[in-house]
Amino acid sequence: MEANARIVPFIKATSNVFKEMLDLTVSSGQTENEGDSFISRGVTVIVGFTGGWKGLFFLDMSQETAMKLATILTGEDYQSVADEEVLLSCAEVGNIISGNATTGVNNAQPGLNIRLTPPSVFVGEDMSIFNVRLSSWSLLMQTDIGAIKINVAVEEVKK
Amino acid sequence: MDIRCVNSFISGLLNVTGMLGMTSMQRKGLSKRTKLRTDNDVNIIIGLVGDIRGSVVFSMQEATARNIASTMMGGMPVDKFDMMPKSALCELANMVSGNSVSLLEQQKALVNITPPTLINGKNMITMISQVETLVVEFEGQEGKIEMNVATED
Repeated sequence: MEANARIVPFIKATSNVFKEMLDLTVSSGQTENEGDSFISRGVTVIVGFTGGWKGLFFLDMSQETAMKLATILTGEDYQSVADEEVLLSCAEVGNIISGNATTGVNNAQPGLNIRLTPPSVFVGEDMSIFNVRLSSWSLLMQTDIGAIKINVAVEEVKK
Repeated sequence: MDIRCVNSFISGLLNVTGMLGMTSMQRKGLSKRTKLRTDNDVNIIIGLVGDIRGSVVFSMQEATARNIASTMMGGMPVDKFDMMPKSALCELANMVSGNSVSLLEQQKALVNITPPTLINGKNMITMISQVETLVVEFEGQEGKIEMNVATED
């Protein structure tokens, strides 16, 4: 399988989840090879997976976008990204997207048996994210609440 | 929170740091994580899937990270926190987790780990796996390492 094909289920899942859950349409550009590291926009949700595919899924956005996203989900206004509800909202969206994507892959290819770790959220200034020995593909998506980047780093486990 | 998991990770970290020449590393404190903000610039996260589900985050100051990388590379001075020390730190996290997971396996808990990811930045806020997180502190000549273990029951 082409390396960049791994990101496809995640792209589909992201646009579905954004539409169904947040009522946001996303317009996407071209997938891009990011190599082993990338610079975060401010807020990064990380979900790992193991099994037939081993790797990580990242959902990356700015602090403003994260707060707007939480506002859509909870209906409340937030002053700071450090609010636990903002972090939980972002984590939940990341969890649903990756769950959605891997369920699709698992159904299409029985036996792969991909399993997910719980999501973790990192917020900070000048954050850079480094995946050792993994090359990742990313896609920048534009939405009404700002740009959101998804990034998938996968190595296929040899049987 | 599974106590077997925490103990295996504590032994795992001490085994691996000892093996890599960081013989002065000692366990200091054990506490529950109460705040989201962290003063540490360097965080390495590894996910756990299987009988135990969760994440482990190794977190430290950049100076400590450089010292550890330097010790791992046989005392070579590390002035800049670039690719080399970053991959050394990821490798350390991978080895510690691998070691811990094999200890867990001896206790009949099968766990798979995800590849490590290193995140560094300033003024970081972290939320690990949405669950209660235990923090185990280690201290040695290289500096302090905080190991955050977050597992679901």
